Amino acid sequence: MAEMVKLFVNGQEVEVEAGKNLIDAVGAVGIEIPHFCYHPALGADGNCRMCLVGIEDGRPPLVPACKTPAQEGMKVRLDTDYIKKIQRDILEFELINHPVDCPVCDQAGECTLQDYYMTYSLEDSRMQVPQVTKGKKMDFGCGVIHDQERCVLCGRCVRFTRQITKTGELGIVNRTDAARVNIFPGKPLDNRYALNIVDICPVGAMTSEDFRFKQRAWFLKRDEGICHGCSRGCNIYIDHHREKYKDDIIYRYRARTNLLVNGYFICDEGRLSYRLENDNRQTETLVSTNKVSFDEGIKAVLDTLRAANKVLMLVSPDCTLEQMWAVKSIAALFGAALSGYSAAYIKDGDGDDYLICDDKAANRKGLELLQINTDRATFESDLNETDLFINFDNDLFFTPCNDPLKPLLESKRSIAICSRKLPVFSTASIVLPTASYTEYGGSVINENGVLQRFSKAVSKNVEGHDILEITRLLGGPVIDAERAWLEIRETVPILADVQPEHIPAEGLTLTTSEDDHVGS
Amino acid sequence: MEVKILSAKFDIEDSHLLKTAEQHGAYSTLDKLFSMKPADVIEEVKNSGLRGRGGAGFPAGIKWSFLPKDLDRPVYLAVNSDESEPATFKDRYILVRDPHMLIEGIIICSYAIGCHVSYIYIRGEYTSQVRILQQAIDEAYEAGYLGENVAGKGFSLDVTVHRGAGAYICGEETALLESIEGKKGQPRSKPPFPAVVGLYDCPTIINNVQSIASLPFIIENGADAYKAYGTEKSSGTHLFGISGHVEKPGLYELPLGLPLMEVIEKVAGGVWKNRKLKGVIPGGSSTPVLTVDEAKTVTLDYESMAEHKTMFGSGGIVVLDETVDMVKLVENLIDFYHHESCGQCTPCREGLGWMLKIVKKLIAGDGSMSDIDLLVELCDNIEMKTVCVLSAACTMPVRSYLNKFRHEFEAYAKDKGSPHNDLGKE
Repeated sequence: MAEMVKLFVNGQEVEVEAGKNLIDAVGAVGIEIPHFCYHPALGADGNCRMCLVGIEDGRPPLVPACKTPAQEGMKVRLDTDYIKKIQRDILEFELINHPVDCPVCDQAGECTLQDYYMTYSLEDSRMQVPQVTKGKKMDFGCGVIHDQERCVLCGRCVRFTRQITKTGELGIVNRTDAARVNIFPGKPLDNRYALNIVDICPVGAMTSEDFRFKQRAWFLKRDEGICHGCSRGCNIYIDHHREKYKDDIIYRYRARTNLLVNGYFICDEGRLSYRLENDNRQTETLVSTNKVSFDEGIKAVLDTLRAANKVLMLVSPDCTLEQMWAVKSIAALFGAALSGYSAAYIKDGDGDDYLICDDKAANRKGLELLQINTDRATFESDLNETDLFINFDNDLFFTPCNDPLKPLLESKRSIAICSRKLPVFSTASIVLPTASYTEYGGSVINENGVLQRFSKAVSKNVEGHDILEITRLLGGPVIDAERAWLEIRETVPILADVQPEHIPAEGLTLTTSEDDHVGS
Repeated sequence: MEVKILSAKFDIEDSHLLKTAEQHGAYSTLDKLFSMKPADVIEEVKNSGLRGRGGAGFPAGIKWSFLPKDLDRPVYLAVNSDESEPATFKDRYILVRDPHMLIEGIIICSYAIGCHVSYIYIRGEYTSQVRILQQAIDEAYEAGYLGENVAGKGFSLDVTVHRGAGAYICGEETALLESIEGKKGQPRSKPPFPAVVGLYDCPTIINNVQSIASLPFIIENGADAYKAYGTEKSSGTHLFGISGHVEKPGLYELPLGLPLMEVIEKVAGGVWKNRKLKGVIPGGSSTPVLTVDEAKTVTLDYESMAEHKTMFGSGGIVVLDETVDMVKLVENLIDFYHHESCGQCTPCREGLGWMLKIVKKLIAGDGSMSDIDLLVELCDNIEMKTVCVLSAACTMPVRSYLNKFRHEFEAYAKDKGSPHNDLGKE
């Protein structure tokens, strides 16, 4: 537990964490100190002057809150006429050369400048001289579009490329009100995290080429989720919306702060992986390429299953713990071999020393804990012997490593339970559509052994069934996630005490060290 | 009235050459210096009452004593030779006419504060000055006054000249440090102050050229000899650059405390062309203007200037005669500070440009009385809300013109820009 200090904000006593700056310290107890340039991941810069506060009995009389550590007994003033006037004045300065083009600005509705104007100013403009004009619609690369006129020169983007990606593509050129953020000539943004700049820009100066003009921010429903792009398990916001007469569509992912997993950011690949949730989805049930109802599909699977002698079931390393358990259970029920073989999900050398992992599977640790065999040789020999191969959404061809298995796979009678239309599922005689990870909830364990839970975010017009549900429809014993956890806890020692509903928001680090189990 | 302490060698031919300088006493204090303890040197400078000659007037000895004790990191000295304040032209004389006095001062200061690497930050426009300074440094190295064994006393000191690129803001001490570090010259937030966290995150003392150049006299002759000049609280002498509408503009070394009008009349020959005085800028463009009445009562020292709600500044006195259009002066003034704003923090970056446009609007005949009020308010809204004092260097004088010569601004607003003052036309 961090050391706490008591201080006074506007005369009211609050208890806050010692050592933090005033913005974070009193922000944690729900008191907002307005600011543009400060960002917890990038540190205090002190350039925007929006967070100036008064400290009673303090010298100097006016300090930037971002650079002022919380101290015992401090008397912070935000509510004096003097401070309120400073906030109005700073906003006036920010706005005099701002185009105020909110109606056509993507940031509108989630713009700090707009919000602060409504909260702290509401003054009419006194600007009666020509504004400074700067560059518009500048392609900075990596899908980042810059509008210099909307920019408040807080420098967050510049500091991001210097401190976080250490690529330094951005700088502020020129002085005075000609100062502007720019790239070096011919050297656009070139890093795998560039779109975070759009997230951290407090105004509409940095917009995403991918997202801009697609949706107004206030229409979007913001749900929390876990990115399934790799085994980091970055926390994301899933921003989605169902337009009238249309389907529930995801428009973007944004980084969600989780200091235990991903900090404040996510990679661009993960951010743009929302497209996979919208496009190329398997929605139809097919039996011998004929469209049938889902119930008919289930019946066809059951009939085929009962007729088969040697069944091999393959589960995806992206499945949740609950789904894996359900598939394991139904494999046992039908006496089928079970594999979690997923070498194709590993892209050797693709990861970096920051967030991106080589392993593109969201829950490989889950396969390990549930003791599902992932060995290639076993999978191959089981596949050789099987007369029915049931694939639970495992993309064996995600990378080319399994290409030599193609002829063998194609020679087998197979059933695909899949969320996407992928080549690996194309030869299946029965295809059952299933939900993807934004459409169900569950638990996954990331590369570092952090167990995280997520909930269903998106409801499609035609809802795909969760793999767990499909196993239940096939007669499997796991009737719901609660039942799955009951059994998982009994079977997996490390998860014996885990209460899924009590997993903390930032996740639970599973300790596998021997010492932790001594005496237990 | 004039005295010759700092300017003693200014009129000697080839005084920038080591040989000539040595003949006239350069480096003669080093024996005495190295016989003293560093703490005693600091004490002597404290006792002399020497105040920073860059403009702020902070006591030099006290600044040095802010250095943390028992350091495990190097201490740096940065000599501020940016001299970018308009109407200031004193340090350039030292650089060109007595660079060895500056180097000797650097040795004294470095010894006192325990510094072995010193920088001279010189404004980029000083091209001939930097050449002469570098020549002097080279000569000092050759003669053993700089380097691993200064004057054979076992003290090592390197001096590096760092040229600026022409930004006014790099005269601000923390922007100067950023610039030396190779970054864009932008002031840092304080605290921490440079004496604690300065150049390359190490404790750093930053002093103006003239402050450093004053040290050899103090060490050689003692604090009391220095205090014999000037007033009790403003001791010593100062190089005053007198420009504007006087008969004899130029650089004059004067003891502090002399009446301003006496200096203008007796030293600088009075207002030129038998014209009337309109006002005086006492210490560089960033200091609030004095009216004729105020000029009559003020003396050239820190205390009297403060009593008159202006500043001693850099000693750059600008005399304004009756033909000066104060509105156009203010336009010029804001134009400069707007151009030189580093653009880092919001009020200065956006506000000065706005003020400039409003003044231009007034001059163009499109202004109104409310624009004048807005200008006054903007001065208040910008001042002291910024990272550094550049904005105040603009708003403080602008406010003084708006208050003291408001009728001239009003004339522009009322007469829709018609020139209100024809005296300047010949």
